[in-house]
Amino acid sequence: MGFRSYLLRRVFYAVIVLFVILTFNFILFRLMPGDATKMIIDPKFTPEARAMLRKQYGLDDPPLKQYWNYITSLLRFDMGLSFSTRRPVREELAERLPNTAVLFLVTFILDMLVGISLGVYAASRRDTFADRFVVGAGLFAHAVPGFFIQLMLLLLFGYYWPILPIHGTMSAPPPDGMFLRLLDRMWHLVLPAGSLVIMGFGSWALYTRNTMLEALGQDYIITARAKGIPPRDILYHHALRSVLPPIVTIIFMSLPGAVSGAVITESIFSWYGVGKYLLDATLQMDYPAAQGAFYLIALAVIVSNFLSDIAYGLVDPRIRVGAGVSR
Amino acid sequence: MLRRIRLSVALVLLFALVFGASSVESAAKFKWEDWGPHVDTIIMPIVKDSEARRIAFERGESIVFPGLTRPADIDKLKGSSNVELTQVLGFHMFYVCFNMRKAPLDSQVLRQAIAYVTDRDNIIRTLFKGYMLPMTSFVPQSSNYYKSDVPTYPYNPAKAKELLDKAGYKLDATGKNRIDPKTGKPLPEIKFFTPTYEVAPTSAEIGRMIAEAAQAIGIPIVPEPMDFPVMLDKLDRSEFDMYALAWGLDRDPTFLYDFFHSSFDVEAGYNRPGIHNAELDKATEALFYAVDQKGAKTAADKAQAILAEQMPYVPLYSRPYIDAWRTDLVTGYVPQPGFGAAESSNYWTPLNIRRVDRTGKPIEGGTIRWLLQEEPKNLNPLVMSSAYEFDVYRKITDSLIRMHPETLEDMPWIARKWDVGTWNPEPGKKGTVITFYLNKGVKWQDGVEFTAEDVKFSIDYAKEQQVARLLSATQDIVKTEIVDKYTVKVYFSTESYWHLYNASPILIPKHIWKDVKDYKTFEPWKEPHPKVKGLTKLIGLGPFMLKDYRPGEYVTLVKNPNYWHIKPTAK
Repeated sequence: MGFRSYLLRRVFYAVIVLFVILTFNFILFRLMPGDATKMIIDPKFTPEARAMLRKQYGLDDPPLKQYWNYITSLLRFDMGLSFSTRRPVREELAERLPNTAVLFLVTFILDMLVGISLGVYAASRRDTFADRFVVGAGLFAHAVPGFFIQLMLLLLFGYYWPILPIHGTMSAPPPDGMFLRLLDRMWHLVLPAGSLVIMGFGSWALYTRNTMLEALGQDYIITARAKGIPPRDILYHHALRSVLPPIVTIIFMSLPGAVSGAVITESIFSWYGVGKYLLDATLQMDYPAAQGAFYLIALAVIVSNFLSDIAYGLVDPRIRVGAGVSR
Repeated sequence: MLRRIRLSVALVLLFALVFGASSVESAAKFKWEDWGPHVDTIIMPIVKDSEARRIAFERGESIVFPGLTRPADIDKLKGSSNVELTQVLGFHMFYVCFNMRKAPLDSQVLRQAIAYVTDRDNIIRTLFKGYMLPMTSFVPQSSNYYKSDVPTYPYNPAKAKELLDKAGYKLDATGKNRIDPKTGKPLPEIKFFTPTYEVAPTSAEIGRMIAEAAQAIGIPIVPEPMDFPVMLDKLDRSEFDMYALAWGLDRDPTFLYDFFHSSFDVEAGYNRPGIHNAELDKATEALFYAVDQKGAKTAADKAQAILAEQMPYVPLYSRPYIDAWRTDLVTGYVPQPGFGAAESSNYWTPLNIRRVDRTGKPIEGGTIRWLLQEEPKNLNPLVMSSAYEFDVYRKITDSLIRMHPETLEDMPWIARKWDVGTWNPEPGKKGTVITFYLNKGVKWQDGVEFTAEDVKFSIDYAKEQQVARLLSATQDIVKTEIVDKYTVKVYFSTESYWHLYNASPILIPKHIWKDVKDYKTFEPWKEPHPKVKGLTKLIGLGPFMLKDYRPGEYVTLVKNPNYWHIKPTAK
């Protein structure tokens, strides 16, 4: 099968998956008990006012009509008005997405750099103290609840040694000048991004270490050693290269996190992002807001999977050929 | 009677022991005045994490920390030499509600027995480290309508047993369950709904504690924590035996009508216990349609006395408002009964608050940093609903009538006086007519004069647009009428003392809002003012103007140079 038909098949699958997810997304919220107006607990909120609110929200429309409105609106990227704020969901998400993306990308790149480097390093020194240390630290950071690490860092650098900002993405008000503002933003990133790196490097390191160890045991590596190729070349040019496809897949598979955000991190460091928005919307039964956020995440997952498939196909041509044979 | 007084004194003493005397000191140190504002800028950083909020306060990044609820924070800050905690009783009630529509809780004796085994003091001590005020009546102690001399049910399991035995609820052969005298069978399992431990741990724990105490005297109550939306759904359909929840209330006791009048025993109505009592209906109607304060007080007293006998609820506790202040940096905060010193409904603190110099002397000008706990997502005054939105907006807006900061009585403000009279909407029917006489020289923040036109427009707009959250207030308004530039009349189809507050609308500027076709989608804080540079369309009559709102980060408010009540010498 050629790359073009492989690509078309992937696009087709992506559209089907998107449609199914959107349908489930619609049904799921309607199956949840209660309705949005019941979340407004106010002694002065009369049944008449509540009925009017239902009408305004379109909750009185027949389900099929609601579904049609929902699908056609989402295709236009119109996610409706949030029940709780009466503001366009698209606007609310657009305000938050850059913050979540910045936090995620910085964390992601650092995590990847630190985790993969440590993984390769540990694999090259199997059963030494360095290996055990990396494995131990990785497992510990991965096992300890994230909020605990973050609260400890908050106390340490916010209270006992108060050198870092503890909330927000900028000072209130921010300094004048673009360069100073940029520095201010980076300064505010230190604690949330740093804590996420501490929490996340372990899985990258352990995954890389294990795949590297597997690769280092392969016949072609033994042959390379026998041929007298320097260990450094074997490590980086032979072993690491052979484990790239799964690592590339993992990289793309992690991308949806860029929009779903880290709910706890966003709450602890008052980071204005999508994760906390999604949580609040779900708890408040704010259908349009929650559906909009899920739509964004579903899109991100589908696009990431699609990119991952393409990257995998490019990195490892056997995938395309294999797909063709199986058909 | 003597025992009741003793109990009240004991409860107040418990509260005083927990808090010490700091609120008394603060009230003595500072005398509020009705001129202001005194600071140039208020910056409100948005800090969502409670730990981060306390650290920001201790670091001096913020000098006002409103709404403390965690005992650990209160304990920690109470010991700081440069921190003062103000605390006042709130208009809040946590209660246990019974479903009186069906057996076995249709029995008054059974409800009273459960009230006797509800150990409020223990709950407050164990779960809240004492930071709550035990409640015995159906109106919070902070209200002027609170009635103290009603029958109370102090913790007394022996008395509960005695009541049950006397009414024929004998223990069965196992000695663990009581026999219902009406059916001759053991009492059925009584499910006690609360929110889950994850959502509201203290409520769930209260459910467990009361159930255990009731089981010990043979009442088979079983706690059943559940998802909050599921619970609300069940309550709306009256599919429950008993549940525990809280109400955020108001100064006026009209909620007694909404909660306990039989006409509200409908699906999604607020008469959740399903109480039908002709005498109570009469009392709550007299309260809701009272034509003066005296009549309202008499009716509220009567309703509370009946409720204390009937026990549709067991009132448990009332939450006080506790706010923290950095005394080395700020003074001039005004604790207001029912509202706290830094809560959004308190208009007096923003007016009086001021910075202090190094010697502790109050100074004019400067910046106050005032913590916001959550995002003020929508600053459209006709749409906003959360306390955090009001926290911002109420510093920008002002009202026709104000509540006195100590007595909570109405006091003239933008309306220099008002008349409450009657008229005949139809032959043989009486309605209320309110006349407001406005002060001259009051200006919107863009310099346009505020007149009777704006009052009429604000009411008419809310009614025409059917603004959901003002529906109750505007439903009886028949018409508004401008008498002259500074006098406006509001006509109601029914007669009630409370119409005075229904006639005091959210004031919106006619010259900005007259072109707004759909109030729901209007975002005044985002649109630049058509004429005045630096302002948005979110303009009010209050002491501060919106300068900047960075979502997720902070809100900046600056002093309104056109404020109508700036102290003449400070201009």
